Amino acid sequence: MSQSLRPYLQCCRSSLTAALAISNFASQTSERHNVPEIEAKSSPELILNPITISRNEHEKLYSGLTCYPDIEPSVNSVRISLSIKQADEIEKVLVHKFTRFLQQRAESFFILRRKPVKGYDISFLVTNYHTEHLLKHQLVEFIITFMEEVDKEVSEMKLFVRIPC
Amino acid sequence: MLLLDYQNVLIQSLLTERFSGAPPASIDQVVSDFDGVTFHLSTPESKTKILISINVKCFKELVQYGAQEVLEREYGPYIVTPEPGYDFSVQVDLENLPAEEEAREELIMKLALLKRNAMAAPFERAFDEFTKLAEEASQYTSESAPQGVKEGGDVMAIHYREEEAIYIKASWDRVTVIFSTVFREETDRIFGKVFLQEFVDARRRVVTLQNAPQVLFRSDPPLELEGVPGLNNTGEGEISYVTFVLFPRHLTPQRRYENISHIQTFRDYFHYHIKASKAYIHTRMRKRTADFLQVLNRARPENEERERKTASGRTFRVQS
Amino acid sequence: MSQINYRTINIDQLDPEASVNFPMETLLPATLPQPGTSSDAANVATQVRQLLRGGDAEGALRAVLDTAPLGGDEGAKQVHLATVTEVLQGIRQGEMTRVLEGVCAGEGGAERADCLMKYIYKGMSSPAPGSGAQSPRNKSVSPQSTGGFSQIQGRNLGEGGGGQQMSVLLNWHEKLVEIAGTGSIVRVMTDRRTV
Repeated sequence: MSQSLRPYLQCCRSSLTAALAISNFASQTSERHNVPEIEAKSSPELILNPITISRNEHEKLYSGLTCYPDIEPSVNSVRISLSIKQADEIEKVLVHKFTRFLQQRAESFFILRRKPVKGYDISFLVTNYHTEHLLKHQLVEFIITFMEEVDKEVSEMKLFVRIPC
Repeated sequence: MLLLDYQNVLIQSLLTERFSGAPPASIDQVVSDFDGVTFHLSTPESKTKILISINVKCFKELVQYGAQEVLEREYGPYIVTPEPGYDFSVQVDLENLPAEEEAREELIMKLALLKRNAMAAPFERAFDEFTKLAEEASQYTSESAPQGVKEGGDVMAIHYREEEAIYIKASWDRVTVIFSTVFREETDRIFGKVFLQEFVDARRRVVTLQNAPQVLFRSDPPLELEGVPGLNNTGEGEISYVTFVLFPRHLTPQRRYENISHIQTFRDYFHYHIKASKAYIHTRMRKRTADFLQVLNRARPENEERERKTASGRTFRVQS
Repeated sequence: MSQINYRTINIDQLDPEASVNFPMETLLPATLPQPGTSSDAANVATQVRQLLRGGDAEGALRAVLDTAPLGGDEGAKQVHLATVTEVLQGIRQGEMTRVLEGVCAGEGGAERADCLMKYIYKGMSSPAPGSGAQSPRNKSVSPQSTGGFSQIQGRNLGEGGGGQQMSVLLNWHEKLVEIAGTGSIVRVMTDRRTV
């Protein structure tokens, strides 16, 4: 990991850890229902303040990472959306292909959302059931790894499109 | 890098088997090739007489540009009247094959190259035209050359696929070959663009490629094609045009044969490459996804599914 | 009636008792300071700048965090954010830990730590406020409202300081988490008194 990237990822890590402090919360509107409140948005009371860890261009120059997370917490679920940098046509295609490929396998990535939140490339939805059954620090670790790797993967794929020529 | 063969491998292997002295058998086989070309191999009269027919979509155009002469030159004694539904037929008699091994192999190759030879006609004509024009032009200075010599020959269009065509134009100092190609998908178009861009870049970068033909790529019809009828310019960028500029050094008689073969396979190779790139990326993504899953699965507590027993020895499962 | 598809109407929105219409004001404590305006915030900024110039970094940070316009309008908040960023940038890296420990200690120290955390997050989510904050933007900085970041990308290309500012904020963030803990971040998310 490069030196300049470390504080950035550290920041993402502690933010995610904090955001994942969620607990079981039954729906207020319908009995015997239990839905992720961040998706249902049934009451503004249950939605917490969203956190963005920089979405501006300089951040990219600064940390060398081209992935911008956006964390939307609520009382029983957290939605984490990522924007992946797409500088030109080919990167756009690759990012689109890759994210779609992953989303089609959302079943096995239990925290992956099948559709990204509007304006982002890929989203995760972590509910209290996930944090109860899985190790929280590893979930955080997964998202951090994902952020690191996805960018690397796209740039590598981009190179490989040209190499066979 | 993978290079495609110019001959039809199926015909080649089939004939090799027949020619090797295997007991004669009846054949009736339809073989497809690139660009919607179909072959029909059959033994209509007797088991020893193999009839090979070819059906090319643009045969009429090819004949117009001298395909008949080229094919007659290549297959002279073997030509028979075309089978109904096909454009051109040759027949070989197994009882009447050349005696030497080498000559036989040559014949097989020749027959397998049927498609290549049929498509070669317009190229040959353009190259001839170029030689003629070059000779004429050498008598003039560039200013005083008559209009005809300056502008070169007509554009020859070969609509070898439904929506795609090759255009060939000879001038006094070069021969221009233009492919029009359709991308069904936006992704293909972008991949194609990267690929073609690499043609331009590689030529600039690698010294040994400086002598290669110039390749240009654009999504609107090039100037050379101005006024060519049937040009489908929708303006939506669906059709791309790839231009090869062959300079005199590519057109020497000893290089011609190779040249024609290479250019013909360009389109197939090009599209093949796009598909191969996509397949490659797909395998990469598959691998990467597996990696991600592995990381995610670390989040699963290890001893989640341990069986528990009550004091009396009965097992129970925790209801989740 | 036939013009409107009544099935698409969210009837909960018409019901004052429904949870969708939860009165958010009730979540704010009664002790909220009086709403300030951007001119008030500008006054504070001048005072803080004086402290900073006088070499009292700790005092400056303390002052700017104590006067956070929790009840102020958007303009005041933007101006104040610029002030906080300025103070943070004005403190040298070597002094960070000492200043932070000082600010977070004593009466109201935890409050100040939370407030600083809020500003760090706000600074990270809004694009380079260092130069543009003097003219308060109309659009809110909440992440949902700015759909894509493409425009922001284009606009910020000319400015040079953003990357450096980000690195300053990240450093502060790391130090603050060390001192105040993850709970501070949780309070940023849960506290309705936004800065």
